[in-house]
Amino acid sequence: MTSEALPRDRRQTPAWLVRGDLAMCPCGSGGVRRKGGFVEKTLGGGAAVLRQAMFSDDLAAERGLLQRIEPRVKLLTLVGLLVAVGLVRAVPVLLGCYAGALALAAASRVPVPFFIRRVWLFVPIFTGIVVLPATLSVVTPGDVVLALWHWHWHGRPVGFTAQGLHSAGLIVSRVATSISLVVLLTLTTSWPRLLAALRAVGVPRIFVLVIGMAYRYLFLLLTAVTDMYTARKARSAGARGGTAEGRRFVAASAGALFGKAHQLSEEVYQAMTARGFRGEARTLAADRPGWLDAMWTVAAAAVAVAVLAVDRRLAGG
Amino acid sequence: MTARTAAPAPAPADPSDVDGALLVADDLHYAYLGRFAALAGVSLSVRRGERLALLGANGCGKSTLLKVLDGLVFPDQGSYRAFGQQVTEDALEDEQFSRGFRSRVGFVFQNADVQLFSPTVREEVAFGCLQLGLSRDETAARVADVLALLEITELADRAPFQLSGGQKKRVAIASVLVMNPEVLLVDEPTAALDPRTSVWLLELLAELHAAGRTIVLATHDLDGLDRVADRCLVFGEDHRIVGAGTPAEILADSALLLEVNLVHEHSHLHEGAAAPHSHLHGTAGHHHSRPPAG
Repeated sequence: MTSEALPRDRRQTPAWLVRGDLAMCPCGSGGVRRKGGFVEKTLGGGAAVLRQAMFSDDLAAERGLLQRIEPRVKLLTLVGLLVAVGLVRAVPVLLGCYAGALALAAASRVPVPFFIRRVWLFVPIFTGIVVLPATLSVVTPGDVVLALWHWHWHGRPVGFTAQGLHSAGLIVSRVATSISLVVLLTLTTSWPRLLAALRAVGVPRIFVLVIGMAYRYLFLLLTAVTDMYTARKARSAGARGGTAEGRRFVAASAGALFGKAHQLSEEVYQAMTARGFRGEARTLAADRPGWLDAMWTVAAAAVAVAVLAVDRRLAGG
Repeated sequence: MTARTAAPAPAPADPSDVDGALLVADDLHYAYLGRFAALAGVSLSVRRGERLALLGANGCGKSTLLKVLDGLVFPDQGSYRAFGQQVTEDALEDEQFSRGFRSRVGFVFQNADVQLFSPTVREEVAFGCLQLGLSRDETAARVADVLALLEITELADRAPFQLSGGQKKRVAIASVLVMNPEVLLVDEPTAALDPRTSVWLLELLAELHAAGRTIVLATHDLDGLDRVADRCLVFGEDHRIVGAGTPAEILADSALLLEVNLVHEHSHLHEGAAAPHSHLHGTAGHHHSRPPAG
């Protein structure tokens, strides 16, 4: 039984609580400083996700070129361009396509330095790491242009080969251009309109619904996480508590979050049922394509054909 | 005079007439996970056009009862009829009955976040009408009307996570009102709302009642009870209904309110002397239900 549930005359307030003690630690500077740990980093990360989501929403609401294109048309044409890029075999053509993606970003009022960072900081780097072995003569035999060491592999020095570098350049530039097109699509289309477009082009309704709700409740659970970490920060003092204690806290908060998510999912389902949901969600109609969309479609098709024609000539296919 | 039942008796606590009642529940029992009792023999009827307040402390079963009345959870024991028909899990499998029932009963959850699952406010408000088969054009027109009514038109294309608590509540209400339900179930309408939004919401409920809506609300807030309810049912902490009456009758029954933990006794110093008395739970003001001595 909690003390709150006890009658007043039976409730015992501990003496130390009413004594008016000084705080456990004296105020004032002790000269020992501690950098923020995982709590601060998690809080910072949570805030960054929210900032990023709002920034993306702002970009999608701009009146740039791609923002004016109807989402279904944009999705289909960018997929068409992606296929064309996937078929290109000449690195100069891919670099030209990448330059075109940068121009599209600028025309859509997406800050170009931000766009370049978004594309290059993540996936192409990992792609580069993956293709790095393919540049070596050990994996791709050929003309060694830069020898790394001089013990020989099948009679040749080990190093970067021209053929390997060409293959790596082809893959990295193709991936970078493809990702640029996808990032352009996601940055210039608000999440709800993108989901509606996915639904319109035949992605299963339940899949779209689940993604939409996952995105929606991500923010709610993120708020729950930041609240938990803020509460911990408010009660943290001094440098006590090592990594073991930190791990315990992370595990406990993950468990609490799991419980919250489970409870939330039950109530959300009830809220959907209460408004007539029976397993198949209907949504409001998407936008209708206009003349700008027709012009964009023709232009995208022309670019795709031109890219493939030039590539065929350069690659000699 | 407050109508009170003998405390432990499982007999129906609400003796109101069953004739003409829209919702009739009889001897409902419900336990979460089969272990944690939420309803222990609850009976009630809700008449057309009335405003019924379910009063009780936290955890007494009010929210569970609302979920039973909305056909979201089903009692372990007892029966529930709405609009003259039994509401069971099996009955709600029937598409026509389900559509009819869902379109006639709207539920505003206490936690607005669970009700806002769509990517934008516009889609959220449109959800119910679209599920119930209204055309997209008619739905869009209704959505525009209800957004204007609740003064949230400018939020239409916003994502729910960008809204404040009060705005979320407005959207949650809009998402139910757009279906024009005959019965409105509202769980803790003013919980966690600022005073201005609370007053706005209570006025909206009064308007809806004037327009003929039947309103059942669950609350532990006794402030302004007479403005939102014609009749009250009081839940005990044993998950039964232990009293019924008009708001004036209930508010005058200090012993009942004390027993069910809706008011509590405490002491204040009045001119230097301690004076134990009760005051209304959860209100900012100080409503003495017994004049302090001294």
